[in-house]
Amino acid sequence: MATEAATVFHPTAPALADARSEQALVGWLYGVTAVAVVGLMGLAGLALRLSQADILQLSPGWFYRLMTLHGAGMLTGTLVAMMGALWYVLRPTVPLRVERMLTAWGAIAAGAALVILSTLAGGFATGWTFLYPLPFLSVGAWDEWATVLFLAGLLLVGVGFLLFCVDVLAAVVAKYVRLSRALGIAYLRGRDDDPPPPAVIAGTVVAIDGLLALTVGTTIVVAELGRTFDSGVTLDALWAKNLTYFFGHSLANLIIYLAAGAIYVLLPRYAGRPWPTTKPIVVGWLATLLFVATAYSHHLYMDFVQPNWAGYVSLGASVAASIPVAVVTAYTGLMLVWGSSYRWTLASTLLYLGFLGWLIGGVGAVIDSLIPLNFRFHNTLWVVAHFHTYMLMGVVVWAVAFVAFLVERSGGRTASQARTWLGVGAMVVGGFGLVAMWYVSGALGLPRRYAVQPVGTEGYSVAGAVFALVFAAGFLLVVLELGLLARRAYRARLTGAGAADEEAELPEPADPGPGDVPLATLPQVVVALGLGAVALVALIPPINDAVADEVRWHHVQHALVFVVGVLLGLVLGSAPDAARRVGAHLPGVSLGLVVLAPAVLMLLMVPGVYGDLEDDGALHLAYHLAVIALGVLTGLGAARLGRVTGRIVALLAVAMPLLYAAGVTGG
Amino acid sequence: MQIGVLVSFAVLSALLVVLFVVAAAASGAELPADEVRARGYWLRKRWLALLAAAAPVLIGLGILLAPFPSGSGADRTEISVVSGQFFFQLDPATVPAGTRARFVLTSRDVNHGMGLYGPDGVLKGSVQAMPGYENRLDVTLEQPGTYRLLCFEYCGLGHHVMEGRLEVTG
Repeated sequence: MATEAATVFHPTAPALADARSEQALVGWLYGVTAVAVVGLMGLAGLALRLSQADILQLSPGWFYRLMTLHGAGMLTGTLVAMMGALWYVLRPTVPLRVERMLTAWGAIAAGAALVILSTLAGGFATGWTFLYPLPFLSVGAWDEWATVLFLAGLLLVGVGFLLFCVDVLAAVVAKYVRLSRALGIAYLRGRDDDPPPPAVIAGTVVAIDGLLALTVGTTIVVAELGRTFDSGVTLDALWAKNLTYFFGHSLANLIIYLAAGAIYVLLPRYAGRPWPTTKPIVVGWLATLLFVATAYSHHLYMDFVQPNWAGYVSLGASVAASIPVAVVTAYTGLMLVWGSSYRWTLASTLLYLGFLGWLIGGVGAVIDSLIPLNFRFHNTLWVVAHFHTYMLMGVVVWAVAFVAFLVERSGGRTASQARTWLGVGAMVVGGFGLVAMWYVSGALGLPRRYAVQPVGTEGYSVAGAVFALVFAAGFLLVVLELGLLARRAYRARLTGAGAADEEAELPEPADPGPGDVPLATLPQVVVALGLGAVALVALIPPINDAVADEVRWHHVQHALVFVVGVLLGLVLGSAPDAARRVGAHLPGVSLGLVVLAPAVLMLLMVPGVYGDLEDDGALHLAYHLAVIALGVLTGLGAARLGRVTGRIVALLAVAMPLLYAAGVTGG
Repeated sequence: MQIGVLVSFAVLSALLVVLFVVAAAASGAELPADEVRARGYWLRKRWLALLAAAAPVLIGLGILLAPFPSGSGADRTEISVVSGQFFFQLDPATVPAGTRARFVLTSRDVNHGMGLYGPDGVLKGSVQAMPGYENRLDVTLEQPGTYRLLCFEYCGLGHHVMEGRLEVTG
């Protein structure tokens, strides 16, 4: 029996302001989607473990395609969960746009469908890292169309996350005017008596680092897409690996930090104590902003051609990144719970336990980030162990906690205590048992991503498989319990007996005003035009001369022409009349322009596309005009996103082709 | 060494579990929030000081003991390792015990890795192999016997069967 309760929260919990229908829609859509995806991808993971234990017979082809699907799918599922959770808790504070979040969901769902098709039907099996040049050297295991589908799927998932990041950034700036205030810097400097809540600071950090990760990720994905229709294209393998891991590492980290942002709002409801913004929280998040962007190179420790300094920077960032977690977020979370007469429900139990998975996994990750130890642990099962500890026992547990929060809140009643104990208990025993087998296997030096485990080590796989089954049983029990509670809540609502939603006042989204443009003053316009003139007069002519010797200069030339176009677009879009007209006639299109135009440009930069045009003067001119036009469209689109968001997006848009130029040759 | 790391990690994890059990047990009481905050902040300063002291030590040791190759390698025996889907090709494939080796790895096709296991089956270390680049790894091969090489970067459907051997004579 579910427990009848006057409230599912602590009696002195902060007041709820989350009853608006659009907020509930996003919460439920993202939460339920995420749990479904995580459940299905978990089944794929279970099949992998059973196969390694020789309980299930998977061919290497199926093992590796399921491994690829499991990795990409779990990242997507947990990303969806935490995007939804953070959006849900931020919506009462900042003017987020529901239409962007629904579009993001559609893009991610379409992307996920392509990834599923690519792996299950196309046999694509590079692992989620799609490390160049493996997608193009399948030894007959998959065709090029499967590669195209997988990369296109990743792009669409990226578009979904990008919409989220841009929306969060635009909304926090709309509310707090300056980025420094939204990040808490003004408060830190004593110039703001009313700092943003911790969830806003977390959301701002995630949005900035997310845009950085997506810039790099889009570049490598589009570069590989270009390689599919011009086999003469060559990517520098070290460049490709750097970009891939910057993107992948940052994304995985940001999923956890999205969760942390949501927890700042959810946990106080069970502890009955507020989680206020303090100076340590601000400092911790500013440090996290830096560390997320600088830690990725530990994935390349054992590539000794990577400059040593990159390894040392990564070592410092990886170790230091643990301090804000240990001293600020997890520590304060425990402090909040301590002596609080904590309201233990299914949701709050999972919220609490997620911290344990995060911290234990974090210790395993710090160990792996120490270069001398990484020498013995790199790409062993230790890596699988630590990221499953914080992703499975941290983020997945929090994803279920978020849905449990929605269900218990909606029905006004908590889950059955017996089934909570049984289900959560099985998840804890099974989950930590599963990762323990990987830690032991990693310490014994067993390599990761093996369809067939080395002879004599089968016992660890069998034990791991048994623990995985226990976790799966617990997860299923919890999901069933949530389903029953949700059905009761729905029926109660139909009869008017459930907890009624109250319409809360939420901040209304609004377009940036005519004055809120990237280039708002005459000196700013002059600087932009000056930069364009420098590019045209001082940079492009010598680069034109160098093109004959090196194809990379050709790409730099195209990138600079694009930069000139973007500057022109920003100037035009910032003009008050143009800003009003573009804003009036192209609602919602501005974001589409800044997403699509740079990606189209990079596809046009594939030598197989422009190579034949060079012999014809008119076509060559048309090509360069098209590059400028794409730049102008990007600039116009960015201009409509406001001063702060527009500048950041324009900067990242021009970074993509420049980054592309650094690593793509051939043709 | 790896087992020592595993045990240390297990001890730290157990301490965290104990902390969470204690905090959960303490969650039932109703203590004044101000009192908990004052004590918590007092303890947090010490906790921060401890971590702030430990971090530079870990980072310093990590830099000092990094296994990055140094020097020209003129005093070392070069062992060329060419990797490909799904093989390792070594030259030479036999060296005497006590050889101060410099492995020079590259790849003919995709990214690979070389996990080097001693005759005792213990992983001595690993290095990646990348197309278009040469990675160098310095190791002294002290134990006579057969050293196994396993692929340490996922490289396609035959990743798990990719294996090489290096004979170290006594």
